[in-house]
Amino acid sequence: MYNNMGPQPGMPRPPGNPQPGPFGNPFTGAGSGFIRGGLGAYGERILGSSSEYVQSNISRYFSDPQYYFQVNDQYVRNKLKVVLFPFLHRGHWTRISEPVGGRLSYKPPIYDINAPDLYIPFMAFGTYVVLAGLSLGLNGKFTPEALNWLFVKGLVGWFLQVMLLKVTLLSLGSGEAPLLDIVAYGGYAFAGLCLAGFSKIMWGYSYYALMPWTCLCTGIFLVKTMKRVLFAEVRSYDSSKHHYLLLFLALVQFPLLIWLGNISVNWLF
Amino acid sequence: MTKDFAVPPVVFPTGGSSGGANVQQRRFAPIPFQQPPPSSSSQIPFLSFNMGSAAASSATQAGPFGGTISSSSSFGGGSPSFEDEEPLLDELGIHPDQIWKKTRSILNPFRINQTVHKDSDLSGPIFLYLALCLFQLLAGKIQFGVILGWIVVSSIFLYVVFNMLAGRNGNLNLHTCTSLVGYCLLPVVVLSAVSLFVPQGAGVVKYVLAGVFVLWSTRACSTLVVSLADGGEEHRGLIAYACFLIYTLFSLLVIF
Repeated sequence: MYNNMGPQPGMPRPPGNPQPGPFGNPFTGAGSGFIRGGLGAYGERILGSSSEYVQSNISRYFSDPQYYFQVNDQYVRNKLKVVLFPFLHRGHWTRISEPVGGRLSYKPPIYDINAPDLYIPFMAFGTYVVLAGLSLGLNGKFTPEALNWLFVKGLVGWFLQVMLLKVTLLSLGSGEAPLLDIVAYGGYAFAGLCLAGFSKIMWGYSYYALMPWTCLCTGIFLVKTMKRVLFAEVRSYDSSKHHYLLLFLALVQFPLLIWLGNISVNWLF
Repeated sequence: MTKDFAVPPVVFPTGGSSGGANVQQRRFAPIPFQQPPPSSSSQIPFLSFNMGSAAASSATQAGPFGGTISSSSSFGGGSPSFEDEEPLLDELGIHPDQIWKKTRSILNPFRINQTVHKDSDLSGPIFLYLALCLFQLLAGKIQFGVILGWIVVSSIFLYVVFNMLAGRNGNLNLHTCTSLVGYCLLPVVVLSAVSLFVPQGAGVVKYVLAGVFVLWSTRACSTLVVSLADGGEEHRGLIAYACFLIYTLFSLLVIF
């Protein structure tokens, strides 16, 4: 019923007051077994000032979420430029990898403009919800419940994007890219949506020019990124099948983003 | 019952006799079969206004009930221990002067005193939440549950974003986060009070006002959060944007 800002995929909510108090650090106490299993790798990090890294099963399904938040101002600005104007990006699109402990891992977003991050998708999603509320209000149709439904609509749209990307990856190969990577790529569409939404508020008719632009840009961005991901993950390169699927990916952006950008009280349409 | 019970000394404000079983003073008389009180509260006699007469009449019931009656009558207190009790507000943890100091520190939009906010409390935010709900009620919108839910969710949001951005050495905890988000709602409360008086047709004035107050809120919140918890210094802008989103959401409730 309440507006859920900032969705956290799989991240458990911290259980109330996290101060250890007179009972010491909760992770070394008697309940540590349950807490470790339940809260997983990022329990310590979320719940306060501990500095241990807790290994658990969850880290196998969600790669370390801390990696996606190593961002700074400059990265955010440049990444937004890449997402909103992908054809202006002069450099290459591959992620820089470095050997860490025998395994190949990618550099964090601060050092690599092509690395995905989760800060921009979350903030873009929040901005989308706020802008949607604003445009509802300017048309005189604002109620908190309508805003909640818009939030749900945004979540569904994000989920559909992730499904689309995941299906593309699966049908072309192993589909072994980390889930949070795909969630991040799916969330970048909201940045373009926010731009379109903002222009709709400023001047109504510019929306009809900016919306196809946003769809196109998001399509190009996703195609270029997925091409690199597929290159890295998939062993056999079947050229025509690849290209058709990537084209399909870009074309599906149009109905999806138009649906997401159409803000009205009836959330489904 | 031949056991000799030690009757604790009783001091009456009206200067009555000590330990007397006077009929007129029966309400204040100590219970005759009372066991010696536990050592922790040895100075407070176990008296009760209601239990005194009943206990004195059932004087034959001794030891097994004495314990329960003394423990149940202890919370009633007696008039001699009334001065020993903490004042109600202290017991509840509400310190009005601290709340006032914290609120006043946010009232100045240009210079925010951070030391006052070092120990977080939740009673100030609850008071501000009630004030916001009151002004919304005056505007005809009943949004008690909505505002409370949004405060909870947005403080969790800010908590997660700050700790994720700050990395290993981020130590914002949820109590402080909620306290800060709540106190920085003050400009939104002022906005809702002011917008009660803005005439109906002037939409632009409302938006401009809302913008000013939201920026004030954002500045206060991000400054406080960054200065009170480690690890946020190089991410000021990013955290400020998160705070901006939160307070814009609240201002939407006020404007529309």
